[in-house]
Amino acid sequence: MRRDGSGVSGRHRLGIGIFLAPVLILYVAFFLYPLVFISITSLMEWTGISKAQFIGFENYKKLFSDSTFIIGIRNNFIWAFASGFIQIPLATLVALILARKPPLWKFLRTLYFLPNVISAVALAMLWKAIYNPAYGLLNGLLSLLGLPGHNWLGDTATALTAVIAQSVLYIGYFMIIILAAITNIPDSLYEAAEIDGASVVQQTFRITLPMISGTLVTSITLAMAYGMRHFEATFLMTGGGPAYATTTMGIQLYNKMDAFRYGEASAIGAILILLGTVLIVLIRSLLSKNDPMAEAAQ
Amino acid sequence: MNSVQRTLKQQTASVLGKAGVFIVLAFFFIIAAFPLVWLFISSLKTNLELQISPFTLPKVLQWSNYGNALKMANLPALFLHSIYVAFGAVSLNLLVTSLAGFVLSREQFRGRELVYTLLTAGVLVPIISFMVPYFTLITRVKLYDNLIALIIVYASINIPVSIFLVTAFMRSIPKEMEEAAVIDGCTFVQRYTKIVLPLAQTGLVTAGTFCFIYAWNEFIMALLLTSSSSSRTLQLGIRFFTSQFVTDYTSMYAAIMISIIPSIALYTMLHNRIISGLTAGAVKG
Repeated sequence: MRRDGSGVSGRHRLGIGIFLAPVLILYVAFFLYPLVFISITSLMEWTGISKAQFIGFENYKKLFSDSTFIIGIRNNFIWAFASGFIQIPLATLVALILARKPPLWKFLRTLYFLPNVISAVALAMLWKAIYNPAYGLLNGLLSLLGLPGHNWLGDTATALTAVIAQSVLYIGYFMIIILAAITNIPDSLYEAAEIDGASVVQQTFRITLPMISGTLVTSITLAMAYGMRHFEATFLMTGGGPAYATTTMGIQLYNKMDAFRYGEASAIGAILILLGTVLIVLIRSLLSKNDPMAEAAQ
Repeated sequence: MNSVQRTLKQQTASVLGKAGVFIVLAFFFIIAAFPLVWLFISSLKTNLELQISPFTLPKVLQWSNYGNALKMANLPALFLHSIYVAFGAVSLNLLVTSLAGFVLSREQFRGRELVYTLLTAGVLVPIISFMVPYFTLITRVKLYDNLIALIIVYASINIPVSIFLVTAFMRSIPKEMEEAAVIDGCTFVQRYTKIVLPLAQTGLVTAGTFCFIYAWNEFIMALLLTSSSSSRTLQLGIRFFTSQFVTDYTSMYAAIMISIIPSIALYTMLHNRIISGLTAGAVKG
């Protein structure tokens, strides 16, 4: 909107600049500068105190020849796939059910999202208590059924599954996004299908899922990106153990930093960003190209 | 005969379908609610009761667990720190994003789309990869172990989400009101303070709620950027309880309950705003 027809005046332009300046300063300081910072320091030997020394790609070479770092990458990919291909289908299933407006659906929608507003610290403590071998909820339930208990987080065979399971079962965030997309589908499509005698299952596969394929691809991509950057629940529940069974790139970044190996920590940060970006681009192009449903919706 | 079989088949299918639906909804109900309910009940038991029978109700409600939690972990001070950080972060975040959102939604200028895309693309960045630069930056500006550092960091991390929500909301405000106000001699700044800002309240509340929940719950940056108990937040506090309450689990549960009450209260009051804020992005795909 302009005060006259002569275009943006100098004073006006100054006003725009002043209004944008605070957000841009913070954005540069906490998004762009860190990006440049880790790109450069990842090529350096640096303890945070000593003078940094340029060493090329040595940090990266070191990381990729370190078997525990490889376990971290592998675990992040497991996180990403569990989030994208277990969490999202579950969220979709619940969204499809709630979209048909069963009794209490609004209450359930609100309740399913509740864990998302509770801190990772509190949830981690909670799940540690659930998995606790001595008095935990899970072993208690198992003993009610006459089954033996298990040290879920202490056993390398079950620790990763246990940590991922508690995160993947919190479907609220994606369920709400998918539910909104379903609600946006025009009723007329279903009315026509109803006249043709299509069953609920047919309607779901022929109308609902193709119509929300865009949202599903976005949700899978986002969920996988979150899986790649996973940190808090693992840090708080197992610290990456036992014996690196649950370690992730984020955990290793923190440990490197704790050991004053800032150059390597930055390299992990850079790998995290790169792998995350590659995964997002790859998944998006794979899913929207080879998925006939996505094409049908376009 | 054939049609009878068909209806029978349909009825069985619909009964099975209904049972399946019920099981799915009940399962996720339990996942979302049961741990919290169990935590609350456990926080009112004695430690002995917890160990012998983790699922029964307490014989006598042990409200003293809450008293213990408040005393032993210096919880009131931590609570105040978290309130200060969360309100500070929300205020700073809303101030800067509402200024920018006003310009991005109401003004025409070169580079507008670029600025908007750049700011909102920030959600794609994994913030944990920035641990080293954040630590270095905060130390250099002498804000290490200062709650102000957390305010600035949390407000900044929430810029992408808030810009998205605030700008979208401001775009939906009709321009006619501003045009009339300009004819009446309203200046650039007055258009922001007197017209757009009051009308954008709903959008600001939504963005502020997201920022508050983030700041209230954040753990890793608080761990990284503070060290002394005078700048310890609630999340760090309950993390350290594990070592303090070595055997007193029920008091630890009481402390965790205290730490999540604000989130649950806020969510109960504003869940419709939060849900509509989440779905604002869903429609675009």
